[in-house]
Amino acid sequence: MKRLKQLFWIPDNKKISRPAAFLNLLVVTALWVALFWVCLGAIHVQLDFTFLGQFRIRIWDGFLVTLSLSLCSLILSLLLGILSAAGQSSPLLFIRFFCSVYVKFIRGTPLIMQIYLFFYIVGTAWGVNNRFTAGVLILSIFEGAYIAEIIRGSLLSLEASQLEAARAVGFTRWQTWRFVILPQMIARTLPALTGQFASIIKDSSLLSIIAVIELTQAMREISAVNFRLFECYLFLGILYLCLTLPISLISERLEKRFQYES
Amino acid sequence: MKKQICFLFTLLSAIMLSGCGGHAKTADGGAPSSADSGKPLIVAMELAYPPFETRDDAGEPSGVSVDLMKAFGEYCGREIKIENTAWDGLIPSLQTGSADIVISSMTITKEREELIDFSIPYANALLAILANADSDIASIDDLNQAGKILAVKSGSTGHMYAEKNLPDTQLLVMPDESACVTEVAQGRADGFIYDQLTIYRNWQNNPDTTKAIFIPFQDVEKWGIAVQKGNQDLLDQINAFLADFQEKGGYEELTEKYLAEEKKAFDELHFQWFFDRKE
Repeated sequence: MKRLKQLFWIPDNKKISRPAAFLNLLVVTALWVALFWVCLGAIHVQLDFTFLGQFRIRIWDGFLVTLSLSLCSLILSLLLGILSAAGQSSPLLFIRFFCSVYVKFIRGTPLIMQIYLFFYIVGTAWGVNNRFTAGVLILSIFEGAYIAEIIRGSLLSLEASQLEAARAVGFTRWQTWRFVILPQMIARTLPALTGQFASIIKDSSLLSIIAVIELTQAMREISAVNFRLFECYLFLGILYLCLTLPISLISERLEKRFQYES
Repeated sequence: MKKQICFLFTLLSAIMLSGCGGHAKTADGGAPSSADSGKPLIVAMELAYPPFETRDDAGEPSGVSVDLMKAFGEYCGREIKIENTAWDGLIPSLQTGSADIVISSMTITKEREELIDFSIPYANALLAILANADSDIASIDDLNQAGKILAVKSGSTGHMYAEKNLPDTQLLVMPDESACVTEVAQGRADGFIYDQLTIYRNWQNNPDTTKAIFIPFQDVEKWGIAVQKGNQDLLDQINAFLADFQEKGGYEELTEKYLAEEKKAFDELHFQWFFDRKE
């Protein structure tokens, strides 16, 4: 009886045993599936996933496009984010305002409007005809603004006394960055940045509106022809979870690991 | 703590039961019956297709389909409630019972008939092509070639036609009509397949960047009003209404109100008119 209790009951600060974690996760999952099942039954919908085999190549291609779209955007948006975070504390007022207007504009407007605007106006004017390239650029510009805020936030959270201390022990500027600022920056931003990568993956689904054939668009095209809307979107959710769940686990790990280091 | 967990479980199961039980009531018996005439009839349509389904300046639903449904409401003495629903969600809204009727310029096709039931046709439509003004497209055959890019609206009959009959063309499946037209006007796509009337209107709106090709390339598409599969009562009512509406000259009134200019253009081009359902 006591052992059974231990499977479900954890007093504060005690480590969760593997079987307990597994069992409870199973219960939670079963509960969600049951909830969904009851709802489906109530509206008389029967799911039929047999069509998936027929479209597996299109779905797999879409999955790969989503993955590469997100990876390319991650790299580019990281670059943009670092640059505009640095730019916002630039002594040159023009650059400071430029970066801050960029961040405020992007964060203050919906992605769907930015996609249409960039693709049909800026993209057409500059001759960006490849939809994948356009997608990477748009997504990077969007996510870059959020990453800039993550980086700027953690820079601001560094106490001024640390920089004074570094100067007091005679660190050069480079040494201050290398031994004082960067290690703390990495510890503070890495978990948030990992989480942002999950956002990039999800946000990339909106690129379907300009017919970038990524995962969501592939599913939309399939459901438009065979009308299996519920099945398509359910499966779509599962595929996105396959990408984002591992990332959020990594993010959690990183958070724990860096918790006491700063 | 233990109590809290118990409470959580109770809460969850309560949500499960109440949240879904409510749905069960409305969808019970598969088809919302037309017997309970106290409740308004829910009509789903995508209000993005002037002049058939659109909104007036005040934001109220308006258009041919809206008027047709209001007339149906008067005919059977029931209140009509219009629900704006995205195209991809129209058929599911019937399947799940959240709408009683769908009228959204929807063509009767075999694939759709497997999932929902259609009334007798109330209009005829043919597909046409909107091409970029500088392109060399003169007929559907010019589009059916590798390297040609064709914009279609997701789930439209143009989309299905292209999937079946244009295997070599690269498809751009866009979520709405305006995006398709933009693609063509900017020269990103070579053509856009949609019904004649919409193609005509968009060509009139973009005379410098687009051209319209009206040569018919498939059979006439018949538009129908859809209900949930098996809801024969409502379907019979709709069919009786449509016959009555035609007899009373309702279609002529609708044409006069919404489509006078287009009717003139169609007559000059010798096209069969939308509501003219002679074979």
